[in-house]
Amino acid sequence: MGCAMNNYKKLKELFRKELLILLRDRQTIPLLFIMPVALIFFLSLALNGVYADKVTGHQISLVMENTSRTPKALQLEKKIAGNKLIKRVFRPPGYDNDKLFEYGKAHAVIFIPKGFEDGTKPVEIEFDPVLDAGYKVALHSLIVGLTAEVVLGVDNIEATMANFVVEKTKKNQNFPSPLQQSVPGWSIFAMFFIAIPMSIAFLREKNDGTLQRLFTYPVSATLVALGKLIPYYLINLIQFVLMLAVGVYLMPQVINLSFNLGIHPWHLVPITIVVAAASTGFGVLMASLARTPEQSSTLAATGAVLMAVFGGIMVPHVVMPQVMKKLAMISPMYWAHQAYLDVFLRDASFGYILPKLVILAIFTLVCFYIAGRRIKWM
Amino acid sequence: MKALEIFGITFSYNRSATKSADGLYEYALKDFTLCVESGQIHALLGPNGAGKTTLMRIITGGLRGYTGNVAVFGRKCADMEALKSIGYAPQPVSVFTALTAAENLRFFGVMSGLTNKKLRERSIAVLEETGLVRYAHKKASTYSGGMLRRLNLAVALLHEPRLLLLDEPTAGVDPQSRHHIYETLKKLNTDGMTILLSTHIMEEAQHLCSKLTLVDKGAVVFAGDMAEIGNLEKFFLEKTGHGLRDE
Repeated sequence: MGCAMNNYKKLKELFRKELLILLRDRQTIPLLFIMPVALIFFLSLALNGVYADKVTGHQISLVMENTSRTPKALQLEKKIAGNKLIKRVFRPPGYDNDKLFEYGKAHAVIFIPKGFEDGTKPVEIEFDPVLDAGYKVALHSLIVGLTAEVVLGVDNIEATMANFVVEKTKKNQNFPSPLQQSVPGWSIFAMFFIAIPMSIAFLREKNDGTLQRLFTYPVSATLVALGKLIPYYLINLIQFVLMLAVGVYLMPQVINLSFNLGIHPWHLVPITIVVAAASTGFGVLMASLARTPEQSSTLAATGAVLMAVFGGIMVPHVVMPQVMKKLAMISPMYWAHQAYLDVFLRDASFGYILPKLVILAIFTLVCFYIAGRRIKWM
Repeated sequence: MKALEIFGITFSYNRSATKSADGLYEYALKDFTLCVESGQIHALLGPNGAGKTTLMRIITGGLRGYTGNVAVFGRKCADMEALKSIGYAPQPVSVFTALTAAENLRFFGVMSGLTNKKLRERSIAVLEETGLVRYAHKKASTYSGGMLRRLNLAVALLHEPRLLLLDEPTAGVDPQSRHHIYETLKKLNTDGMTILLSTHIMEEAQHLCSKLTLVDKGAVVFAGDMAEIGNLEKFFLEKTGHGLRDE
């Protein structure tokens, strides 16, 4: 009992010492807390275009030329111009189509020729070659539909077809909002960045002899290891809670974007517990692989950035090509991010999330195993 | 009574000790024997790489895998009770520079198992002994080299060890701090503390110590009374040679 009390007292002091050193390091707070908030803020704004609904979120600038002037041609021109997807612009003097696109004056040009009503000449569409494929498909479908309405004499073909084709989407299973991508993404990134101060602190103590001195006291290596790990683990948990609070409460006020937590927000608890363990494990691994604080800093930063690049943090997983989507699976950040998106976007059951947590737990165990084999305390 | 008994210690950093260019196995310590009587200040001298720091690390339990025996006041190292009776001030200043002197003392005091009351009493005592009371609540990173050395010593003295191991305690400090450290060590010895002092400053060894063990290439080359030796530096060079020890 006395021994347990003594060990508890020592652990508390090891924890206190680690925390004091961490909080007095001028680089730590900006690195672990201010950096992710700034990334969430700026990248949510920057990604707004990527995540906005591509068809209804923006208008397509369109030059429309009607040489037919028949009632049907005028009706088609009116329907196209009146569509909410379209922003009609006019060709400046001296601008051919290439110049229109090059100078960003229009995204597409539509030409309504004489004879389009009887099918002798088709309506022509020319797109800006760099226009997103989603816009091209949307505009093409729109023109086909409106032309069919005019040619066949059907009014509002979309409403007519509404009973034949119905879109079925759950309330919270949409494309992620920029905040839903950024908040978990950059929180995970910042959590893995704990490897930098963690490995630096360990190697500094090892190299300056304080760790060696510590072991001349009656204190076990297990206690010292726990005293080093627990503070960083708790900081990881605090990081996520703060970032989530920033995403849910602060960001919507500042940048007018909403953040939906999903219908099972309590699943965030086990996910965060496992992700924090994985990032702490990564920190221990970095400390074991490097010899100097400078080496560990470079190694940990490079490792975290590469994992973020591959894991769909820096480049959203949804916009990655198929090969990269497969490669993403090598990054623990991918599994962590997907687990959070399961909660925010997919309203997933815990059973659906569990395999991702198992993968992260295996990653954690592997990190601790390698570190355990490599670390020389003195 | 014997404060420290070291008998037949052999140790190599390379587990399978390799042969050096001259065909000898490279041991950090080879069949090393040393005896320090209680109440002595005992000098441990030798060139760089002779094995002095290795020996101190073995005594304090920092290195394992040696053959031979080490006992502190009759207790085998690194028994917990043996560790408690040792105070060690390593050659590099091994304190947390982001913490204040008071915080460093609190940390190491708790690690040595001192009660809160004892820790408070001893912290004040060692800060006074080392002349750091005024700076107790300033971060160690703001200290001068001499102050850091004294804090290094204060930490070693905190738990009232019976045997004090000092590895170059005055390296890089000014004459004032050095003088203060000498006076502190003399007072501690007068109060009954046994001190094993490793140093490269010959005057320091001759000024403070009554016994001497001279080490070279991991082996004892001389053990005897300091009083027997006239010019210690000349004696040292005669025993260990004039060649540079750059490895």
